Amino acid sequence: MAAARPIGDAPEPSRRAVLAVRAGVAAACLVVWEAISQSGLFFGDVVPSTMKILASFWKLATFDGFWTHLAVTAGEVVASVAIGSVAGVICGIAIGAEPFLRRAYEPILHYLSPTPRIILFPVMIMWFGIGPESKVALGALSAFFPAALSTSAGMLLIDQALIRVGRSFRATRWQMATKIYLPAMRAPVLNGVRLGFGLAIIGVLLAETKLSNKGLGFLVMQFYSRFDMPTLYALLIVLFAMAGIFNALIGAMARERR
Amino acid sequence: MASPSDTRPGTSGDEPLLVVDNVYKRFGEGADATIAVDHMSFGVKPGEFVSVIGPSGCGKSTLFNIIGGLLGEYEGEVRIGSERIMGPHPAVGMVFQEESTFPWRTVIDNVAFPLELRGAPKSERLDKAHHFIDLVGLANFEKRYPSQLSGGMRQRVSIARTLVSEPRILLMDEPFAALDEQTRLLLGDKILQIQQQLHQTTLLITHNLTEAVQLSDRIVVMTYRPGRLKRIVNIDLPRPRTSEVVGSDAFGHYVAEIWSDLREEASRGMLDAEASVARRGARG
Repeated sequence: MAAARPIGDAPEPSRRAVLAVRAGVAAACLVVWEAISQSGLFFGDVVPSTMKILASFWKLATFDGFWTHLAVTAGEVVASVAIGSVAGVICGIAIGAEPFLRRAYEPILHYLSPTPRIILFPVMIMWFGIGPESKVALGALSAFFPAALSTSAGMLLIDQALIRVGRSFRATRWQMATKIYLPAMRAPVLNGVRLGFGLAIIGVLLAETKLSNKGLGFLVMQFYSRFDMPTLYALLIVLFAMAGIFNALIGAMARERR
Repeated sequence: MASPSDTRPGTSGDEPLLVVDNVYKRFGEGADATIAVDHMSFGVKPGEFVSVIGPSGCGKSTLFNIIGGLLGEYEGEVRIGSERIMGPHPAVGMVFQEESTFPWRTVIDNVAFPLELRGAPKSERLDKAHHFIDLVGLANFEKRYPSQLSGGMRQRVSIARTLVSEPRILLMDEPFAALDEQTRLLLGDKILQIQQQLHQTTLLITHNLTEAVQLSDRIVVMTYRPGRLKRIVNIDLPRPRTSEVVGSDAFGHYVAEIWSDLREEASRGMLDAEASVARRGARG
């Protein structure tokens, strides 16, 4: 009987049950991790005990320069998302508003979009140096494409009647963009920014691990070269948490208002 | 319309405010070309309510977009007073057939939109928006979003939004087409009342006979494809009017008279539509 029930009528799963499943999976992972760690299958600290990782958080927090590295990486990510998204949204609106520009540039955006940005890193190093600037450049390049593509696609979905209202009241280009296009495309634009944010984190950290003198990616390589695995794991957990928090913030912005 | 070119504003109350002069618009080229508007000419005098009526597909909406300045590349002229319009003109306020309120703005912010574009100070924006929201009878709904209103209420928001820009000519394209008959008649009352208060010069595009006769001083009847002017009918029903006029003998007389003109055009339109369906069927 239950199988025949349409999906729309399925009862909302209880929040408690969802939380219980999540906690259960997390606990199971910890148990398996701990079991492998205790089994001695792996050499030394390759799979350190959970207690050891936990203790490393303190070591990490008091590590000389950790907070500076954290701030550098967070700053680089925020700057790349800001620069890449603003540039992407502007290009997306321009391409979406002018059929000629759409024909000319949209295919190029589509072709360039999936190319790995990291191959441009040597160029960025030469242009901007090995400091945070080259990381921001690479991150911004990563954030640009999803923002531009989802904005130009979003432009097609705007209700034509609203555009004609703007034109009939003789809105300027700037007014059309800020008062009609952007609010009408809020969901697709923020979705593009969100995707771009994920790619910007990848770009920034990848660049930091390759060649840098600051940031969490640099720190990851430092701990790796000293084979300080417990602290490396603690650092990775910090990175995941940071990405999660940023993502949740953008998600909350997308949900706010109707 | 002997020599519309020497109409100067202010010379006389009988000079047309809006002049449609020999307007011709064709879409496409060669065998596929469709003549949407074929040399139409008429005028709308200050304070007058004129309707353009014609069967579906006769080019009414094309005419609407030309007068509103949203459609270019046509022959002939549209003038406001003696000024030829090129693109959207501040003297013309358009109300569209489709749903056109901004879903992300409250009623009051929707209505204040044209003033915002103009850069009017906030107090002026709110005062004027209040005034016109009140006029269309939505005073208690200022803080609502369009999704919380009925279709008829949303269309009244659109009308208030256009009126707030204080256009000399209100240009409406089947604003009540999506509404049911009763709502349509009651909104007609609202329009009559607004018309009474503002002496608003109005051009209404419609395919609805009752609506046209209920509201208009004059009705311009269009033919089906190519859209030509078939006849202009003066409606000498007393003003102020309400929807109760619909029951009167004179009203029935006008409806019958215009229907006899329109019937022929509408049936040509229907045959045309059937033929095109049949062609598509044969091909498929």
